[in-house]
Amino acid sequence: MTGGADDITAGLRQLLVEVTGRPELATVPAQTELFGTGVGLDSLAGTLLLRRIQRQYGVDVAAEDLNLDALQTLGTLAEFVAGQLAATPLPDRPGSG
Amino acid sequence: MIKCVVWDIDNTLLDGVYLESAGQPPAPDPQLVAVARELADRGILNALASRNPPEAADYVSEATGLRFAAAECGWDSKAGSIGRIAAELGIGTDAIAFVDDDMLERAEVAATRPEVLVLTPEDAADAPGWPDFSPPVITAEARRRGELYAARQRRQAEAAAFGGSRDDFLRHAGTRVAIRLAGPDDAPRLHELSVRTHQLNSAGTPVSEAELAALIGSAANMVVTVALADVFADDGVVGGAVLERNDDGSWPVPILMMSCRALGRGVLDALLAWLCQAARDGGASQLAVPCVVSERNVPMRLALAAAGLRAAAGEVGADGRALFTRSLDGPLPGLADWVTVP
Repeated sequence: MTGGADDITAGLRQLLVEVTGRPELATVPAQTELFGTGVGLDSLAGTLLLRRIQRQYGVDVAAEDLNLDALQTLGTLAEFVAGQLAATPLPDRPGSG
Repeated sequence: MIKCVVWDIDNTLLDGVYLESAGQPPAPDPQLVAVARELADRGILNALASRNPPEAADYVSEATGLRFAAAECGWDSKAGSIGRIAAELGIGTDAIAFVDDDMLERAEVAATRPEVLVLTPEDAADAPGWPDFSPPVITAEARRRGELYAARQRRQAEAAAFGGSRDDFLRHAGTRVAIRLAGPDDAPRLHELSVRTHQLNSAGTPVSEAELAALIGSAANMVVTVALADVFADDGVVGGAVLERNDDGSWPVPILMMSCRALGRGVLDALLAWLCQAARDGGASQLAVPCVVSERNVPMRLALAAAGLRAAAGEVGADGRALFTRSLDGPLPGLADWVTVP
């Protein structure tokens, strides 16, 4: 779970495939823009992705990043998650309702 | 035909949150308990799926007097819980209806198990009259609402099977988004949206019909409604916004709201793109959206980010809001060709 940014990128890519239902994203480069013409991530898929990240890595991106700039690319998202994991080695497993 | 209804517990079957109540858990919601009992009388099973400890299921059984055919409590996704309940009961997931007050839980199940009939607690209160729930008498109105749900489910199933981007699917589905200047007749619907929308609402407070009527009649504001339809269903007016003409070049958007039915269908993106365009056409150099920052309206913040709006770091005010702005110089977010604007 606390693997390097590359492992996290691979894990995030898998989550992206699952929340969008688009298997072709399994090969999306880490530098491709997530919003706009790149991946075309919309607010629904984006929110589901953030929830999955919270469950799998214990990192609440929306709570820590007001502007959600971490969602620029898979690479920036992986760095953000890795940074948060490094700052809190034993994150609480969150959950709601 | 529905054979089993899977119920959420917090703010659904219970009138509150189980774990947030010290000592005395919340009472059951009498209306939904009556629905569950009515369905049980028709031979439809009830089951529980909750992110609560197993004691919560025992409490709900005892407090409601209902018998649950299965109960899944834990941290797994609701989609996972529904799969296990279907396996345990030996029924297909296409015979399951899922009721949850949380929009994201519903969205997640709808996205990963499009065959499941996904309902809000309000829908569930109405659903026993729909044909899928084998009621003794089906009224014309109940049949119409049931058909609307069936149409949405067909859209979900087709979207899940569709191999392509969201925009490709929206085009394939014949999506039509119509942004129109609001008239006095639109005030009641806009008021209703201001009360009912939470996750996709920037202001976070209801706006009265009278206030909206005044805004619609004022030359200092542009008030718009947004209607949504596709080949599956006509959802009518699903959103609205107020854009304030401002002399200093920064035009605020004090109200920006959208029904969760429109989520994932490009409507909020279209509205934000139009707001940028309309403000620039009016001579503005900046668009400014004051937005509540909460756990619940993350989808709104994602739409703002995707449209290029940013807040100054650390700038969440005492009222829980941040001001998200973007410059209107240079290229603006594009509008899809299925969007019509005033």
